[in-house]
Amino acid sequence: MTGSPSTPWTRRSIRAFWRRHTLASSIVLAIGVLIALTLVARALTSGGDATARHIRQSGVWRVGMDPSFPPFEILDAGTGKPVGLDVDLVNAIAAQWGVRAEIVGLGFDELIDAVAAHRVDSAVSALPVAPLRTREVSFSSPYYEAGVVLAVPRDSSLSGTDDLGGRRVAAEWGSEGDAQARALQQRLGGELTLILRESPGEALAAVAAGEADAVIVDSVSLALYDPAGESLRVVGAPLRSDPYVVMVPANAPQLLKDVDVALAALDQDGTLARLKSRWLGANGR
Amino acid sequence: MKGSSTGTPARSLLALALLAALILPARSLRPWVEYGPQQRVDTINPKMCVHTRLTDEVEPWKIQRSFEMVREMGAPWVVEYFLWAAHEPSRGVYDWTHADLVVDHAANQGLEVVARLGFVPDWARPPKTSQLYLDAAGYSAFAEFVAAFVTHFRGRVRFIVVWNEPNLSQEWGYRQVDPVGYTELLRQAYLAAKAANPDIKILGGALAPTLAPPGSQWALNDEEFLQRMYEAGAAPYFDILAAHSYGWTFSAEDPPASGSVNLRRVELLHDIMVRNGDGSKQVMITEGGWNDHPRWTKAVRPAQRVANTLDAYQMALDRWPWVTAMCVWAFRYPRPAGTYQDYFTFVDGSFRPKPIYLAAQAYARGEARQWLP
Repeated sequence: MTGSPSTPWTRRSIRAFWRRHTLASSIVLAIGVLIALTLVARALTSGGDATARHIRQSGVWRVGMDPSFPPFEILDAGTGKPVGLDVDLVNAIAAQWGVRAEIVGLGFDELIDAVAAHRVDSAVSALPVAPLRTREVSFSSPYYEAGVVLAVPRDSSLSGTDDLGGRRVAAEWGSEGDAQARALQQRLGGELTLILRESPGEALAAVAAGEADAVIVDSVSLALYDPAGESLRVVGAPLRSDPYVVMVPANAPQLLKDVDVALAALDQDGTLARLKSRWLGANGR
Repeated sequence: MKGSSTGTPARSLLALALLAALILPARSLRPWVEYGPQQRVDTINPKMCVHTRLTDEVEPWKIQRSFEMVREMGAPWVVEYFLWAAHEPSRGVYDWTHADLVVDHAANQGLEVVARLGFVPDWARPPKTSQLYLDAAGYSAFAEFVAAFVTHFRGRVRFIVVWNEPNLSQEWGYRQVDPVGYTELLRQAYLAAKAANPDIKILGGALAPTLAPPGSQWALNDEEFLQRMYEAGAAPYFDILAAHSYGWTFSAEDPPASGSVNLRRVELLHDIMVRNGDGSKQVMITEGGWNDHPRWTKAVRPAQRVANTLDAYQMALDRWPWVTAMCVWAFRYPRPAGTYQDYFTFVDGSFRPKPIYLAAQAYARGEARQWLP
């Protein structure tokens, strides 16, 4: 018999051995494929991230931004340079990496294309997640929740949307806040009075003036209206979530990971909270 | 056992039928839609127009509702974007399913469709290029698509726009913008379209209003781009100039100036046409308008946006005889953008009309202007 302990292994005996041990051979083959795939994936995700590598080697992180949206980004009237929460955030992330951030001014419409085409390394510009573009770009964890919220006076007994029956709710006419308010009105069987105003500031002022019991408004408008957080407070979860994120190319998984790690570190050490307070006040955290 | 002689003819017929199905060119079946009676637009201003955004809207009832609301607002014209990549997924294979839906619903509502064509399929461009990249090697393929579009929609679409904002590097596939190159693209598309349907009207240009400095890697000033198109011989290859005319923070009356981006910048483009002997041609403003986000630096207050927009519609009617239509961006997005761009729309994602919609509707009915609430 071939392969017996008393005879040396020949090529024919080895083949015969594997034929008899089909299951074993299949398992070995599967393990081999798995190892190979893992190695390929690792190569693609670490050594293969050209964007991350370029940033490390050049020491410069090029970030696209449309500086027309305060307080996140705007051109300083004196220096002509961009300033804002996003600018500070970009510089803070770059400091985490030991590189320099270079802000590239672009129109908002072209930010996604510019990132996908590697004209810039990333984009930070009060950007929400664009779910239809995930083949081209990837999005970090959120660093700010800009969505629509329900706010009430500090001393109000209202604790959420379920308490709004029979109440007056202010909103900016035509805004997402208006849409949310109308949806609530429908849910409550019409037992909610809409107080519509031309701007979010006027809607917020209506609550302050006692013309409304609550307001549905985006969180940025709320923060800017009441930076100290003295007159109004948010109750409940956002009625519509609009998280702002950092955008990177879809084929830059290491860069995405680096951004997320940096954001987590900035959150942990209080930097993110300080930036939000600086630009949005206590209500902006 | 071999097949019997009586089964063979049936199998042969089936095989022939399958073969015919494989080798015949793909033709989209016109989707069955439930139309109401043929509608017409009642308006005091036949130049009112909006840019709809139905490229990503797949539900037929939403397409129908969008056009219903455009008609009810009083705008007889719409601009809509038809993606080359979606309608010719592989060369010579066409899928008009969604486009038929859009065009037929618009027609049922009595609307005139201006079809913007662009967005390059993967097979027509090199790998790892953007979907707005088309070099000279691909111009003929685009021209073939334009001809196919014009042929398919003969009798249903009378106006097409060739490309969009070619004076922006992004819209030119991140290549250096090239008025000569765009003129050649326009020429090939024009000739192919006219060969397919001599009555089709070709809109060229659709330039972005921009004050990009000389030598910018990102854009070329629209005035300069248009002049260089003429120098490259573009005049015979477009019937109407498409223009983009945004007001930003300026009123509709703000005077035109080369250093300003405002509504009346379109008059500067018309002046260039006149200087180049093309003054008899019409201009169609295929994008424009105002934004009323509370914080965007280029926005105005909602009441001002209403006033400016109505002023712009009226200006097109009684002061610009050379403007065919004033198309405001944008009627509705299928889903909220979550950015200041949502404040360009007339109607929200749930089809709730915004103040601008109601004001435009009242204007189209000849009612006095009023601001709510």
